[in-house]
Amino acid sequence: MNIRSYIILRLKELEWSTLTFVLLLSASGLLAIYSIEVQHESGSEYFFRQSIWTIVGLGLFFAAFFMPRKLIHNLTYPAYGVGILLLLIPILTKSGNEVSRWIVIGSIGIQPSEFMKIFLLLALAKYFADHKRKLSTVKELMTPVAMALGPTILVLIQPDLGTALVYFGLLIVIIFWAGIKPLYFFLLLAPIVSMLAAFQTLSFFLWMTVLIVVLYFNELPFWTKILNFFINVGLGGITNLLWALLKPYQQQRILSMLDSDSDPLGAGYQVSQSLTAFGSGGPFGKGLGEGTQTHLKFLPEQHTDFIMTVIGEEFGFVGVMVIIALFYLLIGKLITQAYNSKFRFDSVILIGIASIYTFHVFVNLGMIVGIMPVTGIPLPFISYGGSFMVTSMILAGLSVNMSLVRRAVG
Amino acid sequence: MLQGRNIVEGWRSLLVHGLLALLFTLLVGRYYYLMIVFHEKYAEKATANHIRAVPVLASRGVIYDRDRNLIVDNAPSYTISVIPIEVKDKFESLERLSSVMGVSVEEINRRIAKNRRGSFAPAKVFSRVPFEKISHLQEHRLELIGVAYSIEPIRNYVSDLDLSHALGYTREINRDDLNRFSKDSDYQPGDQVGWKGLEKYYESELHGRRGFRYIEVNALGQEIGEVQDRAPINPIPGHDLILSIDSYLQAAVEKALADSSGSVVILNHKTGEILAYASRPGYDLDMLSGRISSKDWESLMQDPRKPLYDRGIQGLYPAGSTIKPLAALYSLENHSNARERTYVCRGSYRLGNRSFGCWKKTGHGKMNLHDAIQQSCNVYFWNLVQDIGLEDWAHIAREFGFGQRANIDIPGENKGLVPDTKYMNRKYGAGKWTRGNLLNIVVGQGDVLVTPIQLAQFAGMLAQRGTQFQPHFVNKIVSKNGVVIEEMISPSHDRVSASKDSWDFIHQAMWDVVNSKNGTAKAARQKDWDIYGKTGTAQNPHGEDHAWFIGFSLDERYPYSWAVLLENGGGGGGIAAPLIGKVFRTIAKRPS
Repeated sequence: MNIRSYIILRLKELEWSTLTFVLLLSASGLLAIYSIEVQHESGSEYFFRQSIWTIVGLGLFFAAFFMPRKLIHNLTYPAYGVGILLLLIPILTKSGNEVSRWIVIGSIGIQPSEFMKIFLLLALAKYFADHKRKLSTVKELMTPVAMALGPTILVLIQPDLGTALVYFGLLIVIIFWAGIKPLYFFLLLAPIVSMLAAFQTLSFFLWMTVLIVVLYFNELPFWTKILNFFINVGLGGITNLLWALLKPYQQQRILSMLDSDSDPLGAGYQVSQSLTAFGSGGPFGKGLGEGTQTHLKFLPEQHTDFIMTVIGEEFGFVGVMVIIALFYLLIGKLITQAYNSKFRFDSVILIGIASIYTFHVFVNLGMIVGIMPVTGIPLPFISYGGSFMVTSMILAGLSVNMSLVRRAVG
Repeated sequence: MLQGRNIVEGWRSLLVHGLLALLFTLLVGRYYYLMIVFHEKYAEKATANHIRAVPVLASRGVIYDRDRNLIVDNAPSYTISVIPIEVKDKFESLERLSSVMGVSVEEINRRIAKNRRGSFAPAKVFSRVPFEKISHLQEHRLELIGVAYSIEPIRNYVSDLDLSHALGYTREINRDDLNRFSKDSDYQPGDQVGWKGLEKYYESELHGRRGFRYIEVNALGQEIGEVQDRAPINPIPGHDLILSIDSYLQAAVEKALADSSGSVVILNHKTGEILAYASRPGYDLDMLSGRISSKDWESLMQDPRKPLYDRGIQGLYPAGSTIKPLAALYSLENHSNARERTYVCRGSYRLGNRSFGCWKKTGHGKMNLHDAIQQSCNVYFWNLVQDIGLEDWAHIAREFGFGQRANIDIPGENKGLVPDTKYMNRKYGAGKWTRGNLLNIVVGQGDVLVTPIQLAQFAGMLAQRGTQFQPHFVNKIVSKNGVVIEEMISPSHDRVSASKDSWDFIHQAMWDVVNSKNGTAKAARQKDWDIYGKTGTAQNPHGEDHAWFIGFSLDERYPYSWAVLLENGGGGGGIAAPLIGKVFRTIAKRPS
């Protein structure tokens, strides 16, 4: 089969709905960036650059779509290795105290941590596809956890808590999807819940009650139950110690989410301005370019993490709902396709993509309205930024590729 | 198509779908609550609580002389700005402002448009406002909604020296410059920016970086107070410049120049430091900084003495006889009998059927090279040039830095002109120019054009036997806390090589110009140190000739080289040499 007929054949299989969602979301992002630049009378540099990234991203969407599945399968582990090396570059070449998130090539800065999302996803998918794991022993969980832990630690050094949580969330979802027993899954997540619950005495005791009940009513060996219990109590106990290890601004961000008044440094200030922008937008918004909150440059990350404030203020509740609906349809479709898929590799990739999108969408849309901490997580397809735009596009292309109903020989 | 079994149990898929729906429901609920239920509350807040970022200007770096005496610093000045959105429908604000300031509403609107940075940012409309007007406006602040006052630093010229052309001045930045600077630069409409001279050349060092404080304003645009939860960003002051200018020497030069038009450049030929720099007439820096009235600007532009013209680096003049050492050096290096060669000067030189007159109409009599330099005999050099090719002469002239910029650290230098075959062919047509043109060139008339800075550099290279140091104004750039950011150590270049004997010969001849009884610059002679020099007369078709005197001192205490140009001063020996004599007599009396 020559390349031309291959492409034509594949184009016939292309699922247009995903591409449509992606195009609509990207266009909304460009519209918001355009609005910011019109208001600030600051030229159209961001708009121009984002347009370029969108076009580059669409190119890579198709590249990911056309790439033969077998090739993807074979390249998975090497790609993961390259991703780790790329993450090491900013750490090894750091100047000054803070590690940069960027590798700068000429006038372009790329964020390897974004592309690592793809590589980690593929590596986990291959691991679960190649071995029909039952995930019933701790040993079987070691490899995927190690796979996710490597990049997680590397981005925590940067420090980029948000991205670390994306990797970790991806791991959790994939382990669940791959068929871990509910009890094991519960025990796996329990330590995290213990640490979170430890912030408050009442919640900690309530959670411990749940834990004890679950441990009591199952057939685990006695000593495993005891060990699990003490691990959870211990982790809850050292939470305060770990808390002290967080950078002050990270503490501040979490605190400002929990209580927007206890905020001398101003992380909650951003959120409070963002709330005003959304609230004053009302049902239908103030119209394109008419936002007053955005005029004042309250929000330093206005074109990146806080981009939705522009859409909210200028297009109102209706505008926000359109965006949320597009994301919901896109992600819901991915989950359905993951369920319908007959191959573990495809299925895990699809659920992984859904998980990455969901994490970004929920954390981003949540933080700007004060229900999640400000972690610097951008909104897929809409926030300004080249690396993430390209990553989101590749994931979308990959999802269309993986959602094809394949012949058994696949 | 294979109908395989699903890999994932249905309940897992349902749970994930359910979780997604739950998360999105949470989002929808939160947005509904914010944007529909509490819309009115936030809408009120949006209009009631604006936070205004008020820029705090960085103080511009100050300028010192070489001994750290202040030359330029900053003084506070009042500025009035208008916030466009707040005066949009409130004509009475502008009306009142207009009546207090005595400027029409149309003009105020024009300035708002010019300095606009967006509807909510204050646009500067008046700077250097007298305090009485500010207090008057302050009394009526309730009728002046959208009008804001601030204090901003302006340039204050501390010293009495007139260094106008070297220092240059600052002006309000214009739209073109704003667009030229990169987007992340600190500049905003209404900012002061170096416009000429050192202020322009060292703009990025002097400028600093602005800070901000955050002020909350109510719906009427009136300030409520500082925002509590947002720390102000402190401005970063600009760096200071320490010049090479020697204020004592500069003052002596200015005193000696008095009201003459012309230029004096004195530099240290061992380091390239410019010690004194004058271009006359100068201009009033206070008048040009900030907003100049169009009347003042007109009168400066139309002044027949051209005060805005920096003669030291832009003034193009024929070099006159000051350039004769160039041909002499060439002859010494290339003609075996250079020292013995004699020609008789009878007051004129014939070439074909044309006659060229020496400046001494009675003639110098029998001349050798030494005497010809000392007494500046044209006829000798006209004879000599018959043995020198134009290309060879042009080559050595360029080696001495003529025909190219000296690259000193103020903008606007002229290159001057060294005519070579290519140039002559272009100007006169190939074969249409004759040896007659060459006669002019060798004595520095006609097509040869130089600037005072080039001749001062030439004198320095003669003193240093062919080694050139980059002339410069700034010795050090120092941060506000005293850290030296950059120290200028000029690289030296051995540009012209000649034998020791040749240099000795030139030095001796130039010593005799000042110190022998036949010399043309006796008035420059000093009691206890040796002055070397060469006078020159630049022919001026528009009036009285211009007088030149260049020279140097090899005294360890005074490693000076200089060029003096006096416009319409007649012969160089007549008034230019005495000026240097006078300056150096003052220098000898410098209090320690």
